[in-house]
Amino acid sequence: MGKGNLCPTLAVAMLGLTAGGTALAADAPTGGQPGTRAFVATGLFLSGGTDAKSDAPRSPGNFEVYLSMLPPAERAELSSPGKRRDLQKRMWDQFGFRRLSLWPGDFGGRSQVAKLPPDVKLHQKPTPEQLRAIAALNGFPKDRGSLAYQNQTIAYSSCTNPYDFPALAKGYVPYTGKVSYGMNLDGKVGAKDFTGPDGEKGIDNQLWRAIGAYKQSQEMNDPAVREKVMLSARAPMLIEVSGIDDTVNDPDVTVRVLTGADSLVRDGSGKPLARASFTLDPDPALVNVTHGRIVNGVLTTDPIDLRFVFREQIVDNTRLVRGAVIKATFTPDGNLDGGVFGYTTLTSFYDMIEQMTQDGADNVGMSCVGVRMAIDRFADGYRDPKTGRFTAISSAMKFHAVPAFVIDPAMRTANSNSSQMEAAR
Amino acid sequence: MKRCLSRMVLVTAAGVAGLSILFSSASPGKPSPATAQSSVRRLTEAQYRNVIADVFGRNVEVVGRFEPDLRVDGLAAVGSSAVSITPAGLEQYDAIARHIVAQVFSPDNRARLVGCAPGPGDPDGATCAATFIQQTGLRLFRRPLAPWEVRDDVAQTLGSARTLGSFDEGLAATLVGMLTSPSFLFRIDTPARTGPSGMVDGYSKASRLSFLLWNTTPDDALLAAAASGALDRPEGLQAQVDRMLASPRFTDGTRAFFDDFLQLSEIDHLSKDALIYPAFSTSVATATREQTLRTITDLLIDHRGDYRDLFTTRRFAMTRALGPIYDVPVSKPGWSIYEFPEGDPRVGIVTQASLLALHAHPGRTSPTLRGKAIREALLCQQIPAPPANVNFAVVQDVNNPTLKTTRQRLEAHLDDEECASCHKATDGIGLSLEQFDGAGQFRRTEHGIPIDVTGKFDKVAFDGVAKLGQLFHDSPRVSECLVSAVWRYGNGRNVQAGDQSAVDDLHRSFAAHGYRFVDLVRTIALDPAFYTMGAPAARSLTAARTAMSKGKAS
Repeated sequence: MGKGNLCPTLAVAMLGLTAGGTALAADAPTGGQPGTRAFVATGLFLSGGTDAKSDAPRSPGNFEVYLSMLPPAERAELSSPGKRRDLQKRMWDQFGFRRLSLWPGDFGGRSQVAKLPPDVKLHQKPTPEQLRAIAALNGFPKDRGSLAYQNQTIAYSSCTNPYDFPALAKGYVPYTGKVSYGMNLDGKVGAKDFTGPDGEKGIDNQLWRAIGAYKQSQEMNDPAVREKVMLSARAPMLIEVSGIDDTVNDPDVTVRVLTGADSLVRDGSGKPLARASFTLDPDPALVNVTHGRIVNGVLTTDPIDLRFVFREQIVDNTRLVRGAVIKATFTPDGNLDGGVFGYTTLTSFYDMIEQMTQDGADNVGMSCVGVRMAIDRFADGYRDPKTGRFTAISSAMKFHAVPAFVIDPAMRTANSNSSQMEAAR
Repeated sequence: MKRCLSRMVLVTAAGVAGLSILFSSASPGKPSPATAQSSVRRLTEAQYRNVIADVFGRNVEVVGRFEPDLRVDGLAAVGSSAVSITPAGLEQYDAIARHIVAQVFSPDNRARLVGCAPGPGDPDGATCAATFIQQTGLRLFRRPLAPWEVRDDVAQTLGSARTLGSFDEGLAATLVGMLTSPSFLFRIDTPARTGPSGMVDGYSKASRLSFLLWNTTPDDALLAAAASGALDRPEGLQAQVDRMLASPRFTDGTRAFFDDFLQLSEIDHLSKDALIYPAFSTSVATATREQTLRTITDLLIDHRGDYRDLFTTRRFAMTRALGPIYDVPVSKPGWSIYEFPEGDPRVGIVTQASLLALHAHPGRTSPTLRGKAIREALLCQQIPAPPANVNFAVVQDVNNPTLKTTRQRLEAHLDDEECASCHKATDGIGLSLEQFDGAGQFRRTEHGIPIDVTGKFDKVAFDGVAKLGQLFHDSPRVSECLVSAVWRYGNGRNVQAGDQSAVDDLHRSFAAHGYRFVDLVRTIALDPAFYTMGAPAARSLTAARTAMSKGKAS
C-alpha cells in the first residue's frame, strides 16, 4: 500500500476479509489475508530499569508505612505476616477507610452492605447524585465516597482520595537508576532523562521514575515473571499490520491497535495460544488506526493517541497514551515483540491504581498516596493550558504478541492519526 | 431394599450370562460361522444414553462407567453382537440405574415421569404400579410386557413397598430391576408368529429401524405402527421410514454410524505431547470429532450430497477452538461452515484433524498408522499388525541428522523386505498426508526439507492429498466399503457369503442413486432382508422379498 491516509473503501474491503468472509490459504500469513499480520499482545507491562544494586532504596507499601508510625511495642506485635489482618484493621480504623457493598452478595469481600436510597435499583450503577446520597446515608465524610471494585462497592480510602492521607506517602522514594527502557519521545536529552539499555540518551520514562522503586514494579519488570503472567487477559490488545509488501522493509503499512472482546487462552504448554480468533470490542473508541514503516524487520508507527483496556478480575481500566509510538520487531518465530511508548494520561493511569482498591494496594505493597503524588510530581507531558499543569507522564510498556486473527464485524476508524491531524488543523 | 435389589441383580446376572451363552456368536478376529448368527446385541453406551434421554428426558443424567464397547472388524455395531456383561459390568449398570432412578423419583421429576400414586381408589398402588411398569417397560424393552411380567413386577413392587415402608421405594426398586434387565440392556429379536418364516416381529422391526436410523429406542409412533401391524405392510413400513428419515433425529443416527465407521470415539482417549503440539488440547480433540461429524452431516444430510464428495470437499465445519489448528480466522461463535479455497491442501475428511491426530503418535506423525486406518476404515481392507520383534529405531529417531524427513526414515526401515510388504500398502497413502503434523496442523517442511507428498493408489501415481482425494472419490472400492459398512452396522454382523449378492445389489442401487447416503439407508430400511432373524440364506431372502411383494400387491 502506498503512502497516505488509509483509503476508506480499501479499508472496508480489507476488514471484511479479515472478518473471515473469504477463505484463506492455509499458509497465508496469520491475521487475515496476504499482506496482513495480526497479533494479540499477551503481556503488556510498564517497563523501565532494574537497579544494579540490590540494596537500592525501595518505596514502602502501606503496611510498612503504617507500621513505622506505630509505637515500638505495637509495631513488634503487628509485624508478623500472621497479624496482617489485625494490622489492616488497625490502619483502616485509624484512617477512617470505608468500604461497603452496594448489593448483597460476595462483592466487596468482608464488607457490610450499604443502606441504599429508594431510587437506587439493584445492580444498576448509581448516578453521581445517587452516589452522593448513598455516601451521606452511610455516614461517609462530606463529598467523599467513590465507586470501586467494578462498581460493586462504595469506598473512601487512601486510593479513592490520596491527598486526604499524605502520611501514607512517608518513605516514598523514586527510582534512582540511570538506565531505563523507553524511547526519546521529545527528541531532547535532558537532565532528568534516562539512558537506554543500548546507550541511547534522552530516554523519556518518568512513569518509571515515579513508580519504579516499588517492589511490585521491579517484580513485573522481570522477564521471568512476565513470561508467566498474562495481563489484560479479558480484553487483550490486538495489533494488526496491513498493507505489508515486505516484512523486512516497507515504507508504509497501516497499523490498527484494537481491543479484543474474547479472553486470552493458554495453550497446552501454558503459553498464550497462537492463531486464535478474537472478536473486537464493540466500542469504536477502542479502534486506533495509524501508519508506520518497517525497517530491517522493525516496525515503527507514527504517533497516535492510543486507547486500550486493562481488564482483569477486578480492574477494568481504559488507558490513554498520548503521542504513542509502537516500535516492535517481527521475530523469526512469527511473533511481534516490542513496546508502546508515549505519554500516559495521569487520569487514566491513576484510574487503574484506584481500581486496585485499598485492599489490593495493601496486599501488593504499594501506596496509592505515594503513586498519586509521584505521578503528579514527575508528569512531563501535555500541559493543561488553563492550569499550567502536566496532564500526562512519559512511559514505556513492553509487550510480547503472538499471531492471531482479528474478527471485525464493522469498519471503524476512530482514533486514527489522520483524523486527529485533521481535527488539529 | 438392598436385599431385594441384590436378589434382582443376581437373577439378572444369571439371565444375562445365559443369554450370552445362547446368542453371542461373533468373535473378534474370526469369521463368524454361518450357523450361529446373533440376534442379540448389547446396547452401546451411546444408545443407552439416548434411550434414557428419550424415555425420561434430557435432564436425567447418566453417570457412571460402562462396559467398554468392542469393535469387530472396525465396527462396534458388529461387536455389540459379540459382547455379554461381566459381573463387574453388571454392578456398573446397577449403579448407573440407581442414579437414574433416584432422579426419576426426585421431587422435580416424579409428577412428570411417574404420574400416579396410591390413593383412595388404589390404596396399595397396584394400579399405579401396573400402569407405570407397562408404559415404561414398553419404551425400555421396546416391546409390550407380557401379562405375567407385569403381574410379577407389580407383586415385586408391592412386596418391596411393604418391606421398605414406601410405595415409591418399592416402585424404584422395580425400575432399577428393569434397567438392569437383559430385555433392556440387550436388543433381542423376537420371531414373528405369523407371516413368512424367519422374519422378526413388528416390535423387533421397530427396534431395528429405530436403532439404524436414530440410534435409539422406537418412539411412540413407531411402536404404534408395530402394534397395528403397519410395519408388516410395505406402505406402512415406507411411511415410517420416510417419517424417520425426514426427522432431525436421522442426523443423530447418521452421526452414530460415522462415529462408529471412522472409530471417532477413540478420540476420547487421545493425548498429544503438549510441548510439541501446544495448540492441541482435550477440548480441541473433542472439537475435531464434532467437526468431522458435522462436516459429514452437512454434506450427506443437509445437502443430500454424494458420499464420494467427502473426499474432495473443502467445506469444513469449524469452531473457534479449531481455528489455531487450521490457522484460519473463525468469525462466528459456535459452529459454522468454513470453505477452504482451491489450491489449499485441506481437501476431504482425511485432511481433518480428527483422523490426522488420531492416527499419529503423541509426538510425531505416522504415515503407517494413517495409511492403515484409511485402508481399514475407508477401504474395508485388512492390514496385519506388525510382528513383535520389529526394530523401529530408525523410524522413531526424528532427530536423525541424515534422515530428516519421515519419508526418508521409513524408506530406510523398508530395507527390511519383511516390513516392506505391509508398508507398501499403508505408507503410500500415509506419506501423502505428511504435510499435516501429528496434531493435524499444516506444514510445508520437516527439518527444513520440503515434504514430498507423492504416492500411488491403485497403481495410479498422484502428487498431494487433493489428488488422492479425487482418486478415492472415483474408486468403486471406497463406495463399496461404505455400503458394506452400513449393512454390517444395521445388521450387527459381518457380511457372509450368502449376503454378498444383496450387498452387491445395494451398491449398484447406491451408485444408481448418485451415491446418496440417505437413499442407501432408505434402501436397507425398506429391504425385507433387513428384518430376517438369522443368517440370510438366499432362499429365505427370496421368500421374504416375495412375501413382502405379495403384501404390497394385496
